[in-house]
Amino acid sequence: MLEQQLINGLTLGLIYALIAVGYTMVYGVIQLINFAHGEIYMLGAFFCVTFITAAGMPFYVAILMAIICCMLCGILLDIIAYRPLRKAPRLAALITAIGMSIFLQNVALIIWGSRSRPFPQAALPSFFREKALVMGDVSLTWLQLFIFAVAIIMMIGLYLTINKTRIGTAMRALAQNKTAASLMGINVNYVISFTFALGSAMGAVAGILVSVYYNTLYPTMGYTAGVKAFAAAVLGGIGSVPGAMVGGVVLGVAEALGAGYVSSLYRDGVAYAVMIAVIIFRPSGILGRSVVDKA
Amino acid sequence: MSAKKWTKAVLAACLLVLICSPAWAQKIKIAVAAPLTGPAASYGENIKSGVETKVEEINAAGGINGVMVEVAYFDELCEPREAAVVAPRIVGDKDIVGVVGHVCSSAHLAALPTYVRMGMPVISPTATNVTISQQNKDNQGRVWSFRNVYLDDYQGYFLAHYVKDVLGLERIAVFYENNDYGIGLKNAFVAEAKNVGLAIVGEEGYVKGATDFAPQLTRLRGGNPDGLFISGYYNEGALIAAQAGNLGMDVVKFGADGLDNVDYINLGGDAANNTYMTVPFLAEAAPEQAQDFIKKFEEKYQRDLDWMSANAYDAAGKFAAAVAAVGTDRTAIRDYLAGINSLENAYIGITGATYFSEIGDPEKSAFVKMVNDGAFTAAPKQMQ
Repeated sequence: MLEQQLINGLTLGLIYALIAVGYTMVYGVIQLINFAHGEIYMLGAFFCVTFITAAGMPFYVAILMAIICCMLCGILLDIIAYRPLRKAPRLAALITAIGMSIFLQNVALIIWGSRSRPFPQAALPSFFREKALVMGDVSLTWLQLFIFAVAIIMMIGLYLTINKTRIGTAMRALAQNKTAASLMGINVNYVISFTFALGSAMGAVAGILVSVYYNTLYPTMGYTAGVKAFAAAVLGGIGSVPGAMVGGVVLGVAEALGAGYVSSLYRDGVAYAVMIAVIIFRPSGILGRSVVDKA
Repeated sequence: MSAKKWTKAVLAACLLVLICSPAWAQKIKIAVAAPLTGPAASYGENIKSGVETKVEEINAAGGINGVMVEVAYFDELCEPREAAVVAPRIVGDKDIVGVVGHVCSSAHLAALPTYVRMGMPVISPTATNVTISQQNKDNQGRVWSFRNVYLDDYQGYFLAHYVKDVLGLERIAVFYENNDYGIGLKNAFVAEAKNVGLAIVGEEGYVKGATDFAPQLTRLRGGNPDGLFISGYYNEGALIAAQAGNLGMDVVKFGADGLDNVDYINLGGDAANNTYMTVPFLAEAAPEQAQDFIKKFEEKYQRDLDWMSANAYDAAGKFAAAVAAVGTDRTAIRDYLAGINSLENAYIGITGATYFSEIGDPEKSAFVKMVNDGAFTAAPKQMQ
């Protein structure tokens, strides 16, 4: 039973981690908690399903198209909602973020309706539903392995992008000191747009994986996921990308164990209790540093 | 036409409006109080489509005594807080003759005191919680809140007997939604399960909108159940069934009317098969006059008719019948509804003949339907 709970928790946690890195990157670069990030995740799922059902695209092509659309949405979100407020107090930007979250949720409600819809099963590779491993009481599906693999590959890719490329260097420079970075010839708005695009791509993938895993998507799905991912980001140390990954996994596993061993009604409570404990005893998060060196 | 003629024509039109206005001012509105946005919006949509169909039908036939019927929608998100805000607004609109709603028992309970105090007849098509009937009388002992859906305790009691006697199950795992509906239903089932000799191997709760049930299911699986009771609604129910399948749990799933929606099959996939549920409405068992409506509904909304829509259709129909008989006075409508109290003067709707007990609860029987090969069918064995 413990092994099964760990698998359950890991699947959930890796998905949280994918969303959380989007939060944390944006926070690292412009100190904004982008509450509309959960809606990008929701849009990713809906775009993907729409491309499959309305345009008849194959699964992998639809994923790619959904990612591109979400990257554009992320960039647009920044340009329309956040860029005009770059010099305004942080609270103004935070409220705008909450406003955008509600706005996008309702746009989705109008476009796609309020009913939960299933993920088109016919479009999925058939091995997804097969069991990869059955050992006694433990069962693991290929879909879960696929989620593990995609999440881990994306996170490695992200890590390399941030640490080994010029644009990644620019992101880190911006996180340290925006003014100094722009004096060094970094195009600040370009780098911020890139950060939003990258975070949105991860969010879109998470949304698609979740909707395949649970076989369901609905316009309000971004809210809870967004709050959980935010908790994960705080848990790991907001602003720290490896922290968000660790935070996501810790949160997922804590939830699964909490639901499995304590009481299922406390599962969200367990998740937040872990978060509060971290904030009390290690305010900068598991991997966060108390200095401004972020992203 | 010259300018002068235009002026005359406009004046004449104005005059005509003035003359006719007493008749025009008289409106008949039926309020729908339901979640139209938010996480429970799809239930509201079910209610909306039912009432909409009934009202269109009435208006197409020339309205009630020549007056067209309008529907006023009030969104309460299925939340008690919102319902308590919406109720006074409904009561304040003088044209409203009655309320179809609320969907969720908790929301209904929150709005109920306002309706009772201010004298507004209300029929809930879906609220099944037991405690409602204790609160729907004003201090003169008049019932204002009726419902045309049977109660949780009846469904829970019925299910315990059905799964033991008809399905032959022994060990039951229970999954319930943590609200008035889920808990009320579960409590009634568990209480009766003890009497009929079913073993309850575990009870797990969840909150509305939850998507991940694997940890709880993993725990329930340890009790080696042969039946899984889902005391909640279809969105979460479908996920529970699917995830139980993923964990390799080969169990018979069963639940009550909350599961009855074609989305249960859409979202649950193969795992939805072998699910039994009690329903207040069964298309196969519906009376002759319902078949036409069922066909029209399915063409219009492109989905199977669910019991929520069917009950909402009948609730709107009861108000229409009341207005046609006694006019738009709310107290008169209440008296009319309270008068539907025996099989002889029952309201014959598409969900069969309904009449109310003296506390406003309906007298009707439960049907059992099941999912077989990705479609709903009547369960092979019904029970009375």
